[in-house]
Amino acid sequence: MQQEFIPVLIQIVIATGFAVATLIASVLLGKRAKRNQMKDSAYECGMLPIGEGQARFSVKFYLVAMLFVLFDIEVVFLYPWAVSFKRLAVDGGQLVVFFSALSFIVILFVAYLYALRKGALEWKD
Amino acid sequence: MPAYALEIIVFSLGLVLLLVDAFAKLEDKRSLAWLGMLGLVVVFGLLFKVEPRAADDANVFWRFYSDSRMSLFFKGIAILSTILVLAMAIDYRGLIEKFTAPAEKKAHPQAGLGEFFALPVFACAGLMCMASATNLVSIFVSLEAVTITFYVMVAYMRRNVGSLEAGVKYLILGALSTGFLVYGFAWLYGITGSMDLAEIGAALKSGDVSPTAALFAFSLILVALGFKVGAVPFQMWIPDVYQGAPTPITAFLSVGSKAAGFIVLLRLSAVFLGSEAVAGQVAMAFAVVAGLTLIVGNLTAIPQSNFKRLLAYSSIAHAGFLLTALAAAPRKLEAGQLSSATVVAFYLGAYLLMTLLAFLVVGLVRVHRDSEEIEAYRGLGKSSPFLALALLIAMASLAGVPLTAGFFGKFFVFQLAIQGGHWWLVTLAAIGAGAGFYYYLKVVAAMYWDDPTGAAAKAAAIPVSALTRAAVVTLIVLIVIAGFAPRMILGLIG
Repeated sequence: MQQEFIPVLIQIVIATGFAVATLIASVLLGKRAKRNQMKDSAYECGMLPIGEGQARFSVKFYLVAMLFVLFDIEVVFLYPWAVSFKRLAVDGGQLVVFFSALSFIVILFVAYLYALRKGALEWKD
Repeated sequence: MPAYALEIIVFSLGLVLLLVDAFAKLEDKRSLAWLGMLGLVVVFGLLFKVEPRAADDANVFWRFYSDSRMSLFFKGIAILSTILVLAMAIDYRGLIEKFTAPAEKKAHPQAGLGEFFALPVFACAGLMCMASATNLVSIFVSLEAVTITFYVMVAYMRRNVGSLEAGVKYLILGALSTGFLVYGFAWLYGITGSMDLAEIGAALKSGDVSPTAALFAFSLILVALGFKVGAVPFQMWIPDVYQGAPTPITAFLSVGSKAAGFIVLLRLSAVFLGSEAVAGQVAMAFAVVAGLTLIVGNLTAIPQSNFKRLLAYSSIAHAGFLLTALAAAPRKLEAGQLSSATVVAFYLGAYLLMTLLAFLVVGLVRVHRDSEEIEAYRGLGKSSPFLALALLIAMASLAGVPLTAGFFGKFFVFQLAIQGGHWWLVTLAAIGAGAGFYYYLKVVAAMYWDDPTGAAAKAAAIPVSALTRAAVVTLIVLIVIAGFAPRMILGLIG
C-alpha cells in the first residue's frame, strides 16, 4: 500500500511502546507509596493552596462578552456584504440587497435596545 | 401575499413581544402571551390566503425557498403547536415565576416571565422557514434558529436543578449533532459542488459522484438528524431533557423539534433515494435505524413510572414509526398510493394533536398536584372527569385505537411498509404498537380504576381555565375528525 507511511507507523509504535513500557516498569519495580493527605495535596512551591481553583465571578462578564461578540459579528458580516454589493445587485437588484442588510442591522438594533433596557450593561448592584 | 411574508410577520411579532416586555411596564405579563397567540392566529388565517409564486417571478430568493402545499402544511403545524404551547405556558406560569424569580426583593415577581412567551414565537418562525427551505444554507440556518431557541427554553427554570441539567445535556448533544450535520453538508457540497437540493439531486442521479462519498455524507447527516428526531442509537438525551424541561417546552420540543428533524430528513432523503447508486443502501440504513427505534422506544417505555418520561419514550417510539415510513419509501409511486412524504406529514399532524393534548393535562396536573408520576393520576377520572377524558382520548390516539388520528397515522405507515414488502419492519412495528397499547392504557387504568393513595385521595378537582378548556376541546375534535375522515387532512397536504 502506501509504503512511505511505514516510518510513521514505526514511530507511533515506538512512542506508544516506550510510554507504556516505562509506566509498567515503574509499577513493577517501584515501591508502592503511602498515601496521606499531605502527599495528595497539590504541590506548589512555597504557597499553600488557598480557596477554589476556579473562582466565581460575576455573570455580567459573560453578558458583555456575548454582546461584544454579537455586534462584532455584525460588523464582520457587513464587510463582505459591502465588498460584494455590486455583484449581488446584478442578481437581485440594488434595493433588495440594501434592505436585506438593513433588516439585519435593524434586528440587531432591536436586540441592543432590549439588552440596554433589561440592564445588561448596568454594573451597579 | 407570498408565502415568505408569513415568516417575516411571525419574526417581527417575536421582536415586538420582546420590546413590549422591555419597554412597557406590564403589571401582568400574561398579556404578552395573549398578544402572541392573537398574532399567530392571524398568521394561521393568512396561511389560507397565500398566493403561489408567479411563474415569471425571477427573484433569487426562490432558490432558497419553496411554497409547495407540503411546506404550507408544515407551516400550519408549526403555528398551531406554538399557539397551543403559549396557551399551556399561561397555565404553567406559576412554576416559571417560582424558578426564575430575581434575587432582589423589590423586583417585579414576573421579571423572568416575558421571554418565556416570546421565545416560542421565534422558534415558530424558524420552524416555518425550515418548512420551506430547499437549500443547504437555508436548512442549516433555520434549523439552528430553532435549536438555539430551544437551548434557552429547556434551561429556562434556572433555579431548578432538573431544568439546568436538561439544558446542559441538550446543549452539548445538540451542538455535537450540529457538528455532524455541518460536516455532512460540507461533504455533500464537496462532491456535488452545489448547495441547492435540486442540483445536488441531479448530480447524484447523474452517476458522476462517488457513491462511497455520497454514502459517507448521508451517514453523517443521518447521525445529526437522528439526534434531532430521537432515533436509536441517538436517543440518549431524550428522557432526561424531556423530564427536566418546563412542560410546555417539552411539548413543543417533542412536536416542533421532531417535525423540524423530519422535514429536513424528508427533503434530504428524497435527494439520496433518487440516485440509483446509493438508494438501496440509504433505504437499508433507514430500515435498520427504524427497526432499532421501534424496539428500544416501545420496550423501554413499558417500565416507566414517571409520566413525562413515558411520553419521552413514546416520542422515540413514534420516531420509529415515522422512520419506517421513510425506509419504505416507494421508488415509483403507483396511482392512488400515498408517498412517504404524505404519510410522514399526516403522522406528524396527528402526533401534534395527541401529544399536545397529553402535555396540556400533564402541565395542569404538575401545577396543581405537584407531581409528574403516574401515581398522581389515580382517581383523576372521578375528581376531574373532563381532564381524564381528554387524557383518555390522547392516550387512545397515541396507542392507535381506531377512530382516532393516531390510528390512521399508524395505518398508513403499515400500508406503506407492506406495499414495499418490508416484512421484518412490519413485524417490529406490530410488536411496538402492541407494547404501546400496554403502556398508554396503563395511564388510563390508573385514572379510572386505581384508587388514589396519599395526598391524591383528598385532592380537589383541578380548575381548568376557559382558554385551556377551549384548547382541549379543539384538540379532541380535531383528533376525532382526523380519525373519521383522514382524507380531509390528506387533501390539505396535497
